[in-house]
Amino acid sequence: MTDLTQSPQFGDRLKRFLKDYYIYLVLILVVVVLSTANLDKFPLFERGNFLSERNIINILRVSAPILTLAGAFTLLMISGYIDLSVGSAMSLSAVVYALLAINGVPFVPAFLATVLVGVLLGAINGFLVIRLKITPVIATLITLSLYKGIALLLVEDGVSAIKSGGGLKMPGWFNDYGRDGVFFGLPWAFWVAILVTIAMIVAQDRMKLGKYAAATGGNPMAAKLSGIDTARTVIILYVLVGICAALAGIARSSFMSLGDPLSGDGMELTAILVVLLGGTAFSGGEGRVLKSFIGALIIMSLTVGMLTLVPAYFQTLVVGTALLLAAASNHLVSRKDSES
Amino acid sequence: MTDQAVAGRRLAKQDNRLSDEMFITSLVAGAAVALFLLASILVPNFFQFQNVVNLVTNNWAVISLGVGVTFLLVSGNFDLSVGGIVALSGVLAVWFAQATDGANALSSGWGMPTWLAMVCALIGAMSIGAVNAAFVVALRVPSIIVTLGTMMLARGIAQVVTQGSQRNTNLPADFGTLGNMTMFGTSIKLPVVLMATLIFVAVFVERKTVFGRLTYLIGANPVASRLSGVDNARHVVKLYLFSAVMAGVVGILLASEFKSGFSNRGTLMEFDALVISLLGGVAIAGGFGSVIGMFFGAIILATVTSAATGLVLSPDWQFTLKAIAVFIAIMAQTWALARRHAG
Amino acid sequence: MIVQTAFAANAQEKALSIRDLTKDYPGVRAVDAVSFDIDRNTVHCLVGENGAGKSTIVKMLTGALAPTSGSMAILGRTYEPDSTQDARESGVGTLFQELHVVDQLTVLENLTLGMEASRFGFLVKSDLEGRVVKTLAAIEPTIDPKARVSSLSVAQKQIVEIARAASSGASIIIMDEPTAALSEREVERLFGVIRRLRDSDVTVIYISHKLDEIFELGDNVTVMRDGKHIATKPLADVNGRPELIEMMVGRAITHDYEPRGDIADNPVLTVKGLTNHLLKDVSFHVKGGEIVGFYGLVGAGKTEVARAIYGADKADGQIDFKGRKRAASPKEAIAAGIALVPEERRTQGLFTELAIRRNIPIMNIRKLASFGVFQDEREKEVAREYVGKLGIATNSIEKYAEKLSGGNQQKVVLSKCLFADADMLLLDEPTRGVDVGAKSEIYDLIRDLANNGRAICIFSSELEEVLGICDRVFLMYDGRIQAEIKNGTEVDIPHILNVVTGGGGENK
Repeated sequence: MTDLTQSPQFGDRLKRFLKDYYIYLVLILVVVVLSTANLDKFPLFERGNFLSERNIINILRVSAPILTLAGAFTLLMISGYIDLSVGSAMSLSAVVYALLAINGVPFVPAFLATVLVGVLLGAINGFLVIRLKITPVIATLITLSLYKGIALLLVEDGVSAIKSGGGLKMPGWFNDYGRDGVFFGLPWAFWVAILVTIAMIVAQDRMKLGKYAAATGGNPMAAKLSGIDTARTVIILYVLVGICAALAGIARSSFMSLGDPLSGDGMELTAILVVLLGGTAFSGGEGRVLKSFIGALIIMSLTVGMLTLVPAYFQTLVVGTALLLAAASNHLVSRKDSES
Repeated sequence: MTDQAVAGRRLAKQDNRLSDEMFITSLVAGAAVALFLLASILVPNFFQFQNVVNLVTNNWAVISLGVGVTFLLVSGNFDLSVGGIVALSGVLAVWFAQATDGANALSSGWGMPTWLAMVCALIGAMSIGAVNAAFVVALRVPSIIVTLGTMMLARGIAQVVTQGSQRNTNLPADFGTLGNMTMFGTSIKLPVVLMATLIFVAVFVERKTVFGRLTYLIGANPVASRLSGVDNARHVVKLYLFSAVMAGVVGILLASEFKSGFSNRGTLMEFDALVISLLGGVAIAGGFGSVIGMFFGAIILATVTSAATGLVLSPDWQFTLKAIAVFIAIMAQTWALARRHAG
Repeated sequence: MIVQTAFAANAQEKALSIRDLTKDYPGVRAVDAVSFDIDRNTVHCLVGENGAGKSTIVKMLTGALAPTSGSMAILGRTYEPDSTQDARESGVGTLFQELHVVDQLTVLENLTLGMEASRFGFLVKSDLEGRVVKTLAAIEPTIDPKARVSSLSVAQKQIVEIARAASSGASIIIMDEPTAALSEREVERLFGVIRRLRDSDVTVIYISHKLDEIFELGDNVTVMRDGKHIATKPLADVNGRPELIEMMVGRAITHDYEPRGDIADNPVLTVKGLTNHLLKDVSFHVKGGEIVGFYGLVGAGKTEVARAIYGADKADGQIDFKGRKRAASPKEAIAAGIALVPEERRTQGLFTELAIRRNIPIMNIRKLASFGVFQDEREKEVAREYVGKLGIATNSIEKYAEKLSGGNQQKVVLSKCLFADADMLLLDEPTRGVDVGAKSEIYDLIRDLANNGRAICIFSSELEEVLGICDRVFLMYDGRIQAEIKNGTEVDIPHILNVVTGGGGENK
């Protein structure tokens, strides 16, 4: 029988330590490897200097969308649900935002309107899953197709994206949000990602929402018996993911200076990848917003850093392999936990 | 009349009704026919025999993939890796068959004879199926996550082999034979005939063999099936290998048809294969559905998308239409089954 | 009102009073006009054999079932819960067998779950934390409120759940077999918790098969039998185990066991030292043509023995069936000639959404196939044959198993085993939820099968069943075989009950 007064063995403590801090170790490892590797094959980086200011700013700028998304997505997965439509929601938001901007709507209203679109998209997901009781995977596959379809429809025939041309011109400010450095050379999009992440950490640790998400994913029956409205919790989480997808879409759209209806393709995979990498259990209940954020940094450093070592066409392979490895290690860790 | 007699008669009546599966399948088939007729009324020149043929022949690849996907769904598992496998096997077949003396990296391969190249490509496809099976069965990772991973893995390998584009030079003359062979003196190509054969075989396997029976049992109640002596794990492994091989064949046939191995081929095919299965009444929870239903699901999807383009909607409508179709199908099936069981 | 009866005045003093509580199921009266009172701040024990009606009463108390008639009152106020949550709000907490704690949260987070003080969704400091920590410390000071629940043992999780009930203001906490999964030391600790609860103004309703626990812990006891209330009295007035057992049994158990002819001494199954998470050194043998019973109360380990023999669960020890080594999976067991009728018919034995004829051949499905092709016509023949042979009442073999009565469903499960040509049948609760008529048909069938040389093991928590049909009976308690009795001779029922409630037996 286990005795609670017994002090944990050194091995257990090491295991515990690794489990809690491995993600930071991996980040350090990735940074060290990329800093010492020969990076002069690619013009993005100065010779042999991964940690140059220019490079760090570059990576953080392109990472803004996934950094924005990781936190809310983590909370949703902790509650035991999934959203495969985030990529499409992001594309649709990017298109809406660009469409508003190109038609003369100023920054703030365009920004707010797009966020509202995000609320709507998340609410639709929540409605399908909770009220119509469609399995989360299928419900969000439907909206994956739907949101992407609408994004494509919003772009005129014969044009690939919303961009300057045909008498309309993107306003000058359009780029600023995603590209222009405001603090430490980093653009608003990045700082919004940081704010969102802090908000999600607060939601997880200091608000009922985070606790109820964990209870809903960990033991739904216990949550219900304790009087928690699990349906409401899940709908709120879907809406949060929708908002973050909209923010990610704005960031991407601003960075690329266009509203591309395919710009979010594959984002759901990246989101699942970083969340699993951060140790969130796919069975629900467990996970940390901050670790997913670190996971996103790792993946972005890897993918961007990798471009300097191997050609771009290695990217899909690496991401796919990483996803499988993350899923496998995640599983092994959680199994050990339940056995002990 | 006594209550019991009434109850008895009602039970007898229920017995004479179709099974739930046949009911849903007929519903789907009816919807397919109705949609086709509706399209015929709305779209000028839609009502032609050739159009009916086209609905099937233009979709042979997705329908073929749908067979493996349907079997897996019936057993309670997803397979989203088939699109990636289509790209992988096609690229591998071309690469293996390309002569070794090409002018650059993308035009030189392994110089295998066509048949050997195709067999090896098929083995490559199968190994992706093996990875699926290993992760789902041995590690018990949810199949949706595993097959999303292998979808990228397979496509990723294809992209590396083709350096992100395609291989289409320096191929043996007979490489294009299989994919372009026409049959019975008509314009129908070999892949379409193979698809038809596959459907017949699959329906037979599903309805008439022990293998098909076990697939349903595992999906319907995995606990009871294990206690009844079914080796669930082994069966699911077989299903993943089967699905991967089907996807491999599709990829090779497409590579042969276009005489190229294109790393982006089959993009979203996994999604379409899932969509037609769902349209055809396959239940995501397992234990319910049929290959015939999936076939009619494909007809529905094809009618909707081709009629839509006929109705002067842009091809951009396809994603929206797919979403609406799947949504309606799922709601209709849930509603129909609930009513049936309440009645 | 002036006409306040003596009863009503009295009832205000009582933690819980139950009056004429009755629950009818189709054809069965599970609880029959039961009335008794539970004093405040006592540990009130509820005992009775399986099927005495205890669990039905518990379900009515927790709001899971609505009574057919009768009433309940807490401190004189009418109590009519319509859900477990409702019961909680009325101050009745329950410690279920399945724990309702969230592993991923800390102890403190669990204790406050659903009761958090918050402003705009933000958690704010309140006296709640202090209060629950104090409650926890009062009943079990060794649990760290900051520890994650996943790091606790089952016993500690139970205590957390008890503490949650107590700190959410429960005045009554129901515990249904709480010690089933606990070690001896943990049981002691739990008892300490229960005593401290009682001293802090909480009434505990304690249900257990383990009579020693009842004597150690209880203040009062209510004995139930066949759905009826037999007695409620202070345990101090009960003259030891014999009196309690006598009240539980009350009458001679009627059974129509007829000794069967001598059975040749040819053990087909020999089990030695079977041990796993629940079983402890279980050894026995079964002869061909013999019907052997395993009798014990809930959690005694009967199902685990069956599943281990069948290869469905892992276990250490030796199992030898007709010279073949143990089966590693149900598939191997079936191939060796062992078939199991599982405990949970609807979820483990049947495919409810398949037709009868599709269910019957499942355990030996390849027999109906040639070269992998299924012979539909033969399946129908087989189905008709078994429907006729076992008297499955249905008008069609195409009927969904779902739509059959419990008895007929069980006959379908038995048909599955028979079609598998098993030499040995493991029947786990073969007549649970089966009506009387079908029951005796199933017993006849079992006797026929044994007479044809098959070895049969029945795992049952109904004493009448094992005494009615088995040649030998193993009495199980706490994962062990405590005693073996030969049926047919004078059966000492109080002795049996004594053994299976932990009174010790002559260990073989």
